[in-house]
Amino acid sequence: MRNIRAVAANTFREAVRDRVLYNLVFFALLMMAAAILVGQISIGIEQYVIVSLGLSAISIVGIFIAVFLGVALVSKEMDKRTLYALLAKPVHRWEFLLGKFFGLVMTLAVNTSAMAAGLYVALWSVKHPLERADVYILVAVYLILLKLAVIVALALLFSCFTSPFLAILFTAGLYVAGLFAADLRAVRAVELDPLALQFMRGISYLLPNFQNFDVMAAVVHGQNVPAAFVWTATLYAILYIAIVLAGTAVVFSRRNLK
Amino acid sequence: MKSRSIAGAILGVALAVGFVCVWKLQQKIDEERASLQLEKQELALRSPGVLKKLSLEYTPLMAAVYWTRVVQYYGEKHRMHDQNLELLWPLLDITTTLDPHLLVAYRYGSIFLSDRPPRGAGQPDQAVVLLERGMKANPDYWRFYQDLGNVYYFDKRDYAKASQAFEAGSKFPGTPPFMKIMAAKIAAEGESLETSYALWLDLYQTAGNQDVRKNAEEHLRLVKAEMDLRQIDRLADEFEKKTHRRPARVGDLVDAGLLPAQPRDPDGFPYVLGEKGHAEIHPKSPLREDWQKDKLLAQQVK
Repeated sequence: MRNIRAVAANTFREAVRDRVLYNLVFFALLMMAAAILVGQISIGIEQYVIVSLGLSAISIVGIFIAVFLGVALVSKEMDKRTLYALLAKPVHRWEFLLGKFFGLVMTLAVNTSAMAAGLYVALWSVKHPLERADVYILVAVYLILLKLAVIVALALLFSCFTSPFLAILFTAGLYVAGLFAADLRAVRAVELDPLALQFMRGISYLLPNFQNFDVMAAVVHGQNVPAAFVWTATLYAILYIAIVLAGTAVVFSRRNLK
Repeated sequence: MKSRSIAGAILGVALAVGFVCVWKLQQKIDEERASLQLEKQELALRSPGVLKKLSLEYTPLMAAVYWTRVVQYYGEKHRMHDQNLELLWPLLDITTTLDPHLLVAYRYGSIFLSDRPPRGAGQPDQAVVLLERGMKANPDYWRFYQDLGNVYYFDKRDYAKASQAFEAGSKFPGTPPFMKIMAAKIAAEGESLETSYALWLDLYQTAGNQDVRKNAEEHLRLVKAEMDLRQIDRLADEFEKKTHRRPARVGDLVDAGLLPAQPRDPDGFPYVLGEKGHAEIHPKSPLREDWQKDKLLAQQVK
């Protein structure tokens, strides 16, 4: 556990040193511009734009960080040959992986929290006092963070057995495919072979269903997100991440690092 | 050292001159492009379903972008006095497909669609379709019934349906008594200036947007002017009864003591009497054009 914590803390420090959190400046500028401009170029959607733009930006920036840094977590250590020095110490490979995973998730959590605070400031500038329904924005932010954690796990998996470029492609591809997982299940094409339909259904359950973490459409209208939904989405994320990280540990433990 | 600073200064000047040239050139291109602009306005993707899929999980943001496009498109056409608003419906269709709960798009969209040119697209049927779609997606929102009533009353002049819409809306819990009163009033009287005034006044008082309020205000001024004209006509009839001649000018009514002073329209122009001795809006008044259009439309409906 100590090893994991040490690797995670180091990963977080490295991300901060790499100026990853600089994206917060971009986010702050974006929110300020939106708060000032939207009222002048549109009608009746100031609050709607602040929330939808803020949540979209949190999601998109987070996805970029999760994919690009997630893929670099292992490959960078190998390129710089620091991995070999680390593994020479009494650190298991799986501990290294878990440390890397939690380190990046911690970075994303800090980044996402700061962005959420910025979103609330922007929202407050167009509407004060804030309402009770505005709390649901936090639920959406939390679910985005869960989604990002799943993406980090996938990026980590791919980076363990393929080149960084392909790992980015696979992770991004799986993210997009995961957004359509439910649609794959809903295909009712008459002309489709029943076997193919079964196959598609099976694939749809294997894919990470990123729609489970999407409550933006409800939250922008101040709608409540049921606690049961948040709870099951959390369980889903934990389970999926556990499976992917277990697979990653197996692949990484068998990888010849010489 | 000196030569380096000279080179730096030359480079600075060259950059400044270069950017001025780029700026001038862009202005020239913009001028040339202006003629193409009207023809160029197109929607790259017209299928709302495809756009929804392409928006991935960011449909609310895309809906906001498309709604802003609606507002900009409508505003630009209005500014250019261009009455061809053929993209208004496809843009609204996309916006409300991307987010079926974006109430503002239905409410203001139906006004943009139904209002008569040059203010709107003159497509009340599409406005009805839009509002009915909104009702289906947001069954608890009573304001759509008021908007539907307004479209039937003002633009389609279907008073039975207008009354039905107000009546249906009045059944929602928490609706103001105004809805029930309008339902009854329209059912009993059909079109009346008092009803029109009340409907526009409510829109004026409840609209959250300045442009929509301004539009309602213009209509209110027009209705107020129409009320004045009818009052002058009534007094002219009275004058005729007494003197056995039609007044030649509004001043005759003032001289006869029927009016305390020369009445003026909301823009400050005096009312005049037309060839047949009926009250009219002054030819130089900004209200005259809209008033004539309304009159023409009323004759066509009759």
